[in-house]
Amino acid sequence: MKLYQIVAKDILRRKKRVIYSALGVVVGTMTVIGILTIALAGEARIYNQLEKYGPNLTVIPAISNVDMRLGDLSLGTLAVGENYISENHLTDIRQIADGEIRQALGIQDNVNIATIAPKLYINTEVNGISVIIVGIDPPEENKIKTWWRIREGKYLDRGDQALVGVVAAELLGLKVGDKVTLSSNDTTVSGILDESGSIDDFQIFVPLVTLQKAFGKEGLISSIDVRALCSACPVEVIADGINRNIPGVRAVAVKQVVAAEMGMMDRVNKLMLALAGITLAVGLFGVVNTMMASVNERINDIGIMRAVGASRNQIIKIFIYEAIIVGIVGGIFGYVAGTLLAYIVAPLLFEGTVITFIPQYLPLSLALATLIAVTATVYPAFRATRIKVADSFRSL
Amino acid sequence: MLQIKHVSKIYGEGATKVVALNNVSLQVNKGDFIAVMGPSGSGKSTLLNIIGGLDCLSSGEVILEGKRIDNLDENDLVSIRRGKIAYVFQQYHLLPSLSALENVLLPLTFCGASKERDKAADMLKKVGLEKRAEHKPSELSGGEQQRVAIARALVNEPSLILADEPTGNMDQKTGGQILHLFDELNKDGHTIIMVTHDTEIARHAEEMIVLQDGQIIDRINRERRGE
Repeated sequence: MKLYQIVAKDILRRKKRVIYSALGVVVGTMTVIGILTIALAGEARIYNQLEKYGPNLTVIPAISNVDMRLGDLSLGTLAVGENYISENHLTDIRQIADGEIRQALGIQDNVNIATIAPKLYINTEVNGISVIIVGIDPPEENKIKTWWRIREGKYLDRGDQALVGVVAAELLGLKVGDKVTLSSNDTTVSGILDESGSIDDFQIFVPLVTLQKAFGKEGLISSIDVRALCSACPVEVIADGINRNIPGVRAVAVKQVVAAEMGMMDRVNKLMLALAGITLAVGLFGVVNTMMASVNERINDIGIMRAVGASRNQIIKIFIYEAIIVGIVGGIFGYVAGTLLAYIVAPLLFEGTVITFIPQYLPLSLALATLIAVTATVYPAFRATRIKVADSFRSL
Repeated sequence: MLQIKHVSKIYGEGATKVVALNNVSLQVNKGDFIAVMGPSGSGKSTLLNIIGGLDCLSSGEVILEGKRIDNLDENDLVSIRRGKIAYVFQQYHLLPSLSALENVLLPLTFCGASKERDKAADMLKKVGLEKRAEHKPSELSGGEQQRVAIARALVNEPSLILADEPTGNMDQKTGGQILHLFDELNKDGHTIIMVTHDTEIARHAEEMIVLQDGQIIDRINRERRGE
């Protein structure tokens, strides 16, 4: 017979007490695992959107834009007056972007890598309603706006076509085949975009050249979105290169904007972890209490074991084995309960988060739960072995 | 083999001071069967606990096989409990979660002994309980539980068996069987010190020691009893 067998048999006899001890452990680990799961899901959501949507960096005219900030929070930029970038910079930007990516990834050939989508924004009236017309490079724009879906009709494939956002189409009463007059040039609605929940819903998209010609803005663009389809792409380096080499423009890595949001999340996470820590401490006291009771109700058993030759260390070991079992049981339930907690709470905190079981948190949960249980057990067990054997029988 | 020299035990201090043992001296030889008698509160159990190192004394000496054991630290006491001294208690003191056989195994488990199961089974056989080996204490009668406790005491081959009212919770018939077992053990050469308040039970022993108010007031051997 081994010590752990004595423990196992004893636990089987006192199932309820052991489950009760494990409950305190479960509450503690549940909170920590729940909060970590929520935090991870929140971050994953931001990174996902970053990966999935939009450019890695945006190039805008340098002087006409004012950063709107509220403390550390970026509220975007506000364009002041009419300012444009020369179309000639497109080739320079492509050279810088592709050059940096080639260097970073060790690519030799000369194929275009980055997607570079220029845009021209014109505010005009269509059917008597003020609307923003966006001039785009249709194939490049399509690569950047991966989430675009055509609700009716087709994507742009000729110069005299227009693609209309779903809200704009509704407001202006436009259908596929309808005419949209830009200044004096006519275009035909080739398709209507599906709802995306973004500003795109309110805009009309036409080929860049068509818009430039219609409003006399030949060779001018308002902004350029650059997207490199790799996570290792040196976005900041590209932005730096553009800022240093091309006068009159400013490249902003979207990550920098996201960084502000991440910073906010980070602070929320820290607050939640602090709360989890407090819960853990309270849980620990609960477990110390139940363990204390568990040790006390076995003072007699401890006396028996010592009378037949158990050393103090063996007694403490027996209690630690029990604590480890409580920890493992508590850790597994804490992990499951924590994930469930995240599943319920996360949607209230961050819209659209997806909660799944995070396997690498299982060992963490087990370790944490075992640590709590063992910590809570050592002292009561140690104290119990200090009692004289004769006194442990007398306490009955 | 065992000498007790001027042992005193005092509980509490000042007004609540209780003298449980007052300058008790005793010599026990190998193979002795000694009954310690006296009314309750006379210090019988205290004496037994002090001999076995379950309790500490206030003054005096306990010498087992030539070595002082009253001033040992916990580790040395553990080794004494693992081989030299074994206990049989009035309340049996078996672990409720373990079977009869496992309870007998317990001392060997703590020693880390090997081939333990055979030895434990032998001991159970010796006390006539081989058929009840897998039963839990709650499924055994008082007499059977005490037999398990005796088997547990024997399994480490102790030089001295201390029994504290081993038949105190039993009817006369069952108690008689247990006492018979002690007689057998004594015949096999085991040294036994048994505490009891019952003169009939004490008659099984070769020598009776009568305690009162913490002092030995009389010693009666078989010759004096006229046996």
